Amino acid sequence: MSSVDIDVAIVGSGPSGIAAATALSKAGFKNIVVYERETNIGGIPRHTHHPSFGLRVFKRPMSGPKFIAALVRRCPDVRFETSTTITALRPGGVLELASASGLRTIRARHIILATGARETPRHGRMVPGLRPQGVITTGALQQYIYSAQLLPFERPVIVGTELVSFSALWTLRHAGIIPVAMIETGPRISAYRPATLFAKAMGVPIRYNTEITDISGIETLTQITTRTRGIKTATIPCDGLIFSGCFTGENTVAAASHLSLNASNRIPLVDQNWITSDPCVSAIGNAIHPADMGDQCYLEGAKAGAYVAQLLAGNISLDKAFSEIRRGEGIKMTTPSILRSDIFGEPHFDLSFHVTAPFRGAVRISQGEQVLNEKSINGLPMRRITLRNNRFATGYPVDVSLIAEN
Amino acid sequence: MSEARWDVIVIGGGVVGCAVTRRFALAGAKTLLLERGRDILSGASKANSAILHTGFDAPPGSLEVACMQAGYQEYLDIHTRLNLPVLKTAALVVAWTEEQLAQLDGIVSKAHENGVDDARQISRQDLLGRETGLSTTALGAVEVPREYVIDPWSAPLAYLKQAVRAGAGYQFDTEVKSGAFDGEYWHLDTGQQRISGRLVINCTGTNGDNIEQICRKPGFEIRPRKGQFLVYDKSASALINSIILPVPTATTKGVVLTKTIFGNLLLGPTAEEQQDRNIATVEREMLDGLIATGIEMLPGLAGHSVTATYAGLRPATQFKDYQISAEPGKNWIGVNGIRSTGLTAALGIAAHVQRLCGETYSDLANFGPAAAAEWPVMPVLAEHEKRAYQQGDGTEIVCHCERVTRGEIEAALDESDVPARSLGGLRRRTRVMMGRCNGFYCSARVAELTQGRISPPLAGHEKDQS
Repeated sequence: MSSVDIDVAIVGSGPSGIAAATALSKAGFKNIVVYERETNIGGIPRHTHHPSFGLRVFKRPMSGPKFIAALVRRCPDVRFETSTTITALRPGGVLELASASGLRTIRARHIILATGARETPRHGRMVPGLRPQGVITTGALQQYIYSAQLLPFERPVIVGTELVSFSALWTLRHAGIIPVAMIETGPRISAYRPATLFAKAMGVPIRYNTEITDISGIETLTQITTRTRGIKTATIPCDGLIFSGCFTGENTVAAASHLSLNASNRIPLVDQNWITSDPCVSAIGNAIHPADMGDQCYLEGAKAGAYVAQLLAGNISLDKAFSEIRRGEGIKMTTPSILRSDIFGEPHFDLSFHVTAPFRGAVRISQGEQVLNEKSINGLPMRRITLRNNRFATGYPVDVSLIAEN
Repeated sequence: MSEARWDVIVIGGGVVGCAVTRRFALAGAKTLLLERGRDILSGASKANSAILHTGFDAPPGSLEVACMQAGYQEYLDIHTRLNLPVLKTAALVVAWTEEQLAQLDGIVSKAHENGVDDARQISRQDLLGRETGLSTTALGAVEVPREYVIDPWSAPLAYLKQAVRAGAGYQFDTEVKSGAFDGEYWHLDTGQQRISGRLVINCTGTNGDNIEQICRKPGFEIRPRKGQFLVYDKSASALINSIILPVPTATTKGVVLTKTIFGNLLLGPTAEEQQDRNIATVEREMLDGLIATGIEMLPGLAGHSVTATYAGLRPATQFKDYQISAEPGKNWIGVNGIRSTGLTAALGIAAHVQRLCGETYSDLANFGPAAAAEWPVMPVLAEHEKRAYQQGDGTEIVCHCERVTRGEIEAALDESDVPARSLGGLRRRTRVMMGRCNGFYCSARVAELTQGRISPPLAGHEKDQS
């Protein structure tokens, strides 16, 4: 296995993976492959049938499948290999692949991980109770309704009020189902406030400050018990429970590899150009910042792909060493998570991050005594905040901190 | 109402019921297994820590240690022929306090008394050298080299499959309500059916004392003890090499850290007495407590996510030892109080019950010519062995977290011995939907593949929109 089989292997065919492939294809690389473990390409959008895609890329609202189809039309030369799972990533650009015919190994000059995100399900949230059927996530719900034309239940409760929770509501409406309630642990919805109007129009009550204290049902779900404001308990008869949101990166392969990870969330570290600790591996999209909109992922993937094209063309010499971006209290994650110098212009970076809890005040990026950038923010946990074009000195850690209003 | 006549009726399809059914079927008895759940392992046997124990810390001279050691040996003798896995991890009984350290001597002597001669104390330095992830507050350990990890579901399924191939029958969704003995045959009433057999063997676990009432006044009372567990993501299993056992104390049994055969890391159990025989819920406070204990022992656990939480009920009684006895003149054997060691002991218990049958009922000593043993080959589910997706079975992976192929799912539904007929049964036979995403990626596909095949179904057809 001394020879290189392909130029670039892209793992995952969601918006960011397709974008990276398109950028590389446009830069003249012919020998690139997008690997997809599902039988169809498209990632999450392939089963998200409401018009929350396309506004930034195509300047018009589109459904997930239409968005993906339009993206694919932009890259007619890109090769997709479906039903192919990456089972291991090794140093030196080596990937192990599983498909119907078994295992094989390939070697690429560069690998781009675009493995996406999924919702944290019931067990990962350690919700108490029994384990009946009917407890699922929004992603599973969409596949039941849109891909399989099957109904897993008729009277569900939606847990969470992120954007994706309202996507669950939309999906249910399509199937002619009105959920019993939405429940939210906080005092307001996590998505933008106007989303409540959609729930209201469907006649679905939102119960705030409410957590699940029990799940009942031996084989199939019969009811849940909730507690509001820590005191008031209630039982809600229902036959389905949809755990929505709380996205987590699908980083199984990266986390089991040689890549350096963020210790608290096991997301691979990436620099300002999406290069990981291994200079021949990039990581992009919702795998590293679960989860942003499909359009944002596409635009990011295009930039990352263009950078890899420069790298492979020999126009950039990449430093192996990198410096850390240190997160202060209240910051969930940052993209990038490390900084690295190259000889490709002045060292600067765009910083995106999420807060762990609603926050009003300012965010400051600093390096030692030097303040690189500061901006006032009104942050909510599910909303991405970006500070653009921050110049930095190479080789020293950068701090990102929240400064509360007085 | 027609009435089939069997030599032996085993009530209860847990690991013990499956092993007993196998034993009697292979001995030539026309044997029927009755299970009230939708599949085997619907009760206590579905939730345990999946360790093949040497019996090093069981009460010396007890029936429990005898059955455990016989079961341990028979499992090792037959596992290759059934293609059942063994992960040879060894166990370390770790002392975390000076008080526990002082007890290690006693643990070694007890192990030696139980014939586990290779158990020995190791120093703190040796311990931390072997287990680099353990908290450095550990003070020392007893090493038990032959404690292993096995598959808690494939093993009993293999026993029943082998029994079926030797002519045994089984019936699920069948709850025995009452019964009468006519001096030669037991006639069991299930509400829908009357089923008759010469010998009844009660293996009903947490319902043991109630079923025992059909024949006699039970000399024990089942006191269900709940154990809650956490399964960590596969990424966490590399944090330990051996099974990390606690030093048992008078007040608490402590929790175990072990790899599972499927490549996860298991943390648990708790031990809580409760009244209910059937319902085992997980509770947030207990899980949080387990996690805190786990991180105290293994600090690296903090960054890893939880794949599953579950709770099981152990059919404990007021007695420490198993409660296995035959009722003279009534063709009834009760196999009760098999607490948490049933997975290891099951094959040994089955052999013991067969002996007990021969000693007590001379007319039942020989049922007929022994059946020719066929050895079903179980699918490979163990993470350390070559799985179907690695061999390339010609089908795509459906469940990405556990890497289960469509071929494996179809085989579990289509096979003729004991096919999967419920989601739980399919999950235990294939690992499908058992992974970290809890079905985010694959459940709709699994619903399609299982349509009309499992009950209750995962989903129904969409409503008519018109």
